[in-house]
Amino acid sequence: MSEITNDRASSPVFTGPSSLGETAPAVELRHVSKSYERTTRALDQIDLRIGVGEFVAVTGPSGCGKSTMLHLIAALDVPTSGSVLIDGRDLTSWRDLSRYRREHVGLVFQLHNLLASQTLLANVEVVMFGTEASVHERRARARDLLAQVDLAGRERRRPTQLSGGERQRVAIARALANHPTLLLADEPTGSLDSVSAGHVLNLFNAVHATGVTIILVTHDLTIAAAAERVIHMRDGAVVADVPTTAPN
Amino acid sequence: MDGSETSVDYIAFMLRGVWAKKTRSIGLAFAVAFAVLIVVTLQVTSSSLEQSAAAVMSVGKANITVVQKGVADILSSTIDEGELGSIRRTPGVTSAVGVLVGTQKVNADNPVFIEIGINPTDLAAFGVTVVAGHPYTASATNQVMLGWRAAANLGLHVGDRFHALGTWNTVVGIYSTGNAFGDAGAMFPLPAVQGYNRLPGVVTLVFVKVANSSSSRAINAVVRRITYAMPQLTTITTASQFGRADVTLVYLKAAVTASSVLAIAIGAVIVGNTMLLSLFERTREFGLLRAVGWTRRRLIGLLLGESLVLALVGAALGVALSFAAISLLGQVPSLRGVLHVTFSANAFARGLATAVGMTILGSLYPSIRAARLVPLKALSYE
Repeated sequence: MSEITNDRASSPVFTGPSSLGETAPAVELRHVSKSYERTTRALDQIDLRIGVGEFVAVTGPSGCGKSTMLHLIAALDVPTSGSVLIDGRDLTSWRDLSRYRREHVGLVFQLHNLLASQTLLANVEVVMFGTEASVHERRARARDLLAQVDLAGRERRRPTQLSGGERQRVAIARALANHPTLLLADEPTGSLDSVSAGHVLNLFNAVHATGVTIILVTHDLTIAAAAERVIHMRDGAVVADVPTTAPN
Repeated sequence: MDGSETSVDYIAFMLRGVWAKKTRSIGLAFAVAFAVLIVVTLQVTSSSLEQSAAAVMSVGKANITVVQKGVADILSSTIDEGELGSIRRTPGVTSAVGVLVGTQKVNADNPVFIEIGINPTDLAAFGVTVVAGHPYTASATNQVMLGWRAAANLGLHVGDRFHALGTWNTVVGIYSTGNAFGDAGAMFPLPAVQGYNRLPGVVTLVFVKVANSSSSRAINAVVRRITYAMPQLTTITTASQFGRADVTLVYLKAAVTASSVLAIAIGAVIVGNTMLLSLFERTREFGLLRAVGWTRRRLIGLLLGESLVLALVGAALGVALSFAAISLLGQVPSLRGVLHVTFSANAFARGLATAVGMTILGSLYPSIRAARLVPLKALSYE
């Protein structure tokens, strides 16, 4: 597996705002609750701080609220109460959340969510449309990322021509295209065999080594053990928050 | 990020999106093509008929053509000799030539043959040059002059006999007017045509030449004098004014406009319906694009761009089909001589506007609806 690079400072495609302070945590949740249809409480008064460059795994049984928390951090949903702060800045102060998602967040889903009609290259490039990167820069970045996830030479293939593990690697390449500060992954190995899951996990470790903050939602404790810190949730609340002995 | 991306890779991304649903895209392009076919065919047919009417008016190379107001078609116009005399006496008028125009079917190739009744003394003022033989005399019976195109089409020469006005006539001369429509007809002494049509003392059109013909003010002054003195008549100085006299043409143009609007409306509904189906199929895709940072505006831009691609393909297909349809119409025997097909740039511009208009109209609502999808819900859409 090639070495993952995520050099925001020297990258021509970096267009995001500067960090709001070295001391501010990458992610902070203050008394965050989320309810659906008034009765179902998915998150209950969550308080959480995740430092810059941390690799955090969130575990727990189905329906415990771990994906909901990830969606709130990704600005794909809004809390019923409380605040989500990224680099010390409340997400509600963002005028354009699309820009936040595009420039700060890399998203990896369990089911890859690749565009079946597009080539692998276009699947990575898609998040860079409309950025300040030129066509040449976009293409070079997409090729480079595909090479880093061991898919060099297959740029013109379609997602349907790949295995599940390979598709997830494309999804990771796409998530890294805009040099995010935050990589959010929701059960990224949930649909993979153990070998493919191992490859994907290696990629996360490589990304983490570049200084990207990673929040990985998983119900698989073996996967979670690869993180620096494991947050265990149950019934919408954090019930354990412990460091691991993973060699990061 | 806005919706103005036009780079090569973005366009390729858009085209792959269109091509991914081949059957639907082809169906949509054909729906657009069908609407364009209707609009272009009706437009070309209508403008061709208008040009045929314009050709009748322009035979006399006059500054002003005087016609009876509000007739169904210009050949139904009747102007009596008294009115003709008044026109001739109008200040500023140098000549006023009254002609009676009729049509007859000569043979299958000439179903609408133009017969012009005109006095031989008016031939020069009417712009007629006799190129073979001689003119008929004012009181001649059974004499005819053929336009050079008509003579060539019918294979007739000076001295031959030609059946018209219910009798056999001797071709005494061949003429040229420099006007294709006039040169494809025949000229007779005015009384002969009036007698055959039982319209004694009546002409169809009066072709007026003005003293200072290069001055639009002088022409307008004569127009005002004629229409003030004879409000039952109307004047035509440009092709766009034919509607003043030819009501049928006005109705025809109105029908063309109405049919075009209907075709666009039906087409837009088909496009909208297809795009809505596509929206349901591609909900997860749109949810993903929003989740990874695409703005609503960019998503609308993508969908409208895809529609525009289909519009252009449909327009090209529609224009090609309308070429074929109009060529076939030109072969219909009853339309020969009436429908002088001319493919104007205006007709094709309308075709393109139709294609773009109906696809944008039809895809606007589905595009906005796609852009308003909640990313999280769209991503979990089954």
